[in-house]
Amino acid sequence: MLARKKRNTPVIVITAFLILLIAVVPQFTSTYTVRILSVALINYLCVLSVYVLLGLCGQNSFAQAGFWGIGAYIAGNILTKTFGGSLTAFVAAVCGTAFLAFILGFAFFRLRQYYFTFASIGLMTILNVLFINWVDFSGGALGMKEIPTFQLFGFSADSETSKLYVVFAVCLVATFLILLLFHSSLGRSFMAIRDNEMAADSMGINSLLTKSIAFAISGALCGAAGAMWASVSGYLSYQSFTYNQSTIYLVMIMIGGTGSPIGALIGTAAITILQEGFRSLQDYMQLIYGIGVIILMIFQPEGIWGGGKILYERFRKHREKSKVSAV
Amino acid sequence: MFIQLLISGIAVGVIYGLIAMGMVLIFRTVGIMNFAQGDFLMFGGYFAYTFNQMFGLNIVISLILAALCMGVIGVIFMRTSYWALRKAQAKAIIVSAMGASIVLREGARHIWGAIPLTLDRVKEGSVVLAGATIQWQYVAIIGIALLMMLLVYFLLEKTFIGNIMQATAQDQYMSSLVGIPVVVSIGLTFALSAVITGICGGLLAPIFFLNNTMGTMAGSKAFAAIVIGGFGSVPGAIIGGLIVGLVEQFGGAYISSTYQLALIYIVLIVFLMFRPKGLFQEKIQEKA
Repeated sequence: MLARKKRNTPVIVITAFLILLIAVVPQFTSTYTVRILSVALINYLCVLSVYVLLGLCGQNSFAQAGFWGIGAYIAGNILTKTFGGSLTAFVAAVCGTAFLAFILGFAFFRLRQYYFTFASIGLMTILNVLFINWVDFSGGALGMKEIPTFQLFGFSADSETSKLYVVFAVCLVATFLILLLFHSSLGRSFMAIRDNEMAADSMGINSLLTKSIAFAISGALCGAAGAMWASVSGYLSYQSFTYNQSTIYLVMIMIGGTGSPIGALIGTAAITILQEGFRSLQDYMQLIYGIGVIILMIFQPEGIWGGGKILYERFRKHREKSKVSAV
Repeated sequence: MFIQLLISGIAVGVIYGLIAMGMVLIFRTVGIMNFAQGDFLMFGGYFAYTFNQMFGLNIVISLILAALCMGVIGVIFMRTSYWALRKAQAKAIIVSAMGASIVLREGARHIWGAIPLTLDRVKEGSVVLAGATIQWQYVAIIGIALLMMLLVYFLLEKTFIGNIMQATAQDQYMSSLVGIPVVVSIGLTFALSAVITGICGGLLAPIFFLNNTMGTMAGSKAFAAIVIGGFGSVPGAIIGGLIVGLVEQFGGAYISSTYQLALIYIVLIVFLMFRPKGLFQEKIQEKA
């Protein structure tokens, strides 16, 4: 019991800190900063989906931005064209994307590792072409405009701050569910597949089904992020949902560390701060970003959180050793 | 129309095939897919532009000089974003290659600007063949590409250096035991790969314009070529490239030009579904 409590300490501390931050920041800063926080949290949801797929299940997919787009367009369509409420749109985006990911997962996970990654690049490109050309669904090149904001039981998220609170609540619930998943038997079978698929198969895990479920869960997270994005930005353009966006998610999780949702959070925060902090350097921003990624991978291939953890373990062992020698 | 499309499909296809071949050379040696290969193409094009348009040299000489520069770039790339990470997990190396790809793209934008550029064709004008007008550039591309394939074949199969590179690709530890300097050998492989891809950039630039994002698109088509041809197979990469080029040209003309790109990937996914190991399969089964 004690061990379990200790393991969750960082999560609780960080959650408390974030709640404080989210509560305090909008009071003092401009709506621009609040908007950036909302976008960062939406990105965090997508990075969390990469965590489920890559960190837990060991599968590398480049189609996440595509699923994000599908979620966004489903929510956008329901909100603008039918009389469905916000809740309907959200549930439809999550379930629809998850269902699509599950079906595609069954087809695509017949391929292993590298082959799956390439198929996912293909999927991403096809989805992007669909977003550009399927005018009825996505508004085509003009995009989808004037999507109403989130409304639930008379509460309407009109201001940037209230939008931020809604996104934050979704993030909290999602993170909590993913932590539950981590400690469940399904989560353990994900990790078994990550470590050695053949061994997992021989232990009686249906690897095709399990990987498809992982894909569906990551799809659901992306769908939730998409629904949030539709109501936060109010405008959807195919230019958001590209292969490049998917690579940014991968970079984010690798920078944070693939070992835990905290890594996803740190990675998202690091990239967002880097992008906003160096905005004054505009022209050289991307260059610095690229060099930063290489340097970080060279010195900290486990990511910031993973590397910090290793350092902490080493420090703890060292301290224990010195204690023993003192006795 | 048919012959025109056939020739342009083959010309574009051999270019994709050569980019794919560059990737396969790196993949066979270090077991990592190079996500920055498309940017080698872009950089090669810009080097050729520098020698051709800025210094006013003949296009063929410019291409040769650009190839030499690309060799240096390849070695620098290998030293900075692969060698330091060779013991890390594959996904760390992939991410560092993505970082390098951003650096190359942005570096090119700072050096040469973001305006699309063009350079001289190897031979201007066109020829009429069986009622179809064919640009000389396409013919030149096919010719130079064939020459390059032959040269690479001779380099890898018949020369001492090529044997060293192949030995390193088969087993790095073993080749270090027999006295092969592994770092030099891997560096040469990266250089060769960058040279092949860079020349392609110089050849492709007069047809598609030269800008700093051209590499991403060409690189992703080369990925498709590799998967269709079979991982780690050089002839497979060339055949895969030809299939991609022909599907692109014919699909764009006869089926739908808006869904041209999607078409390539639909072919790719169909291949993955029904022949997941590609046309030229690896003989070795997966080991536990």
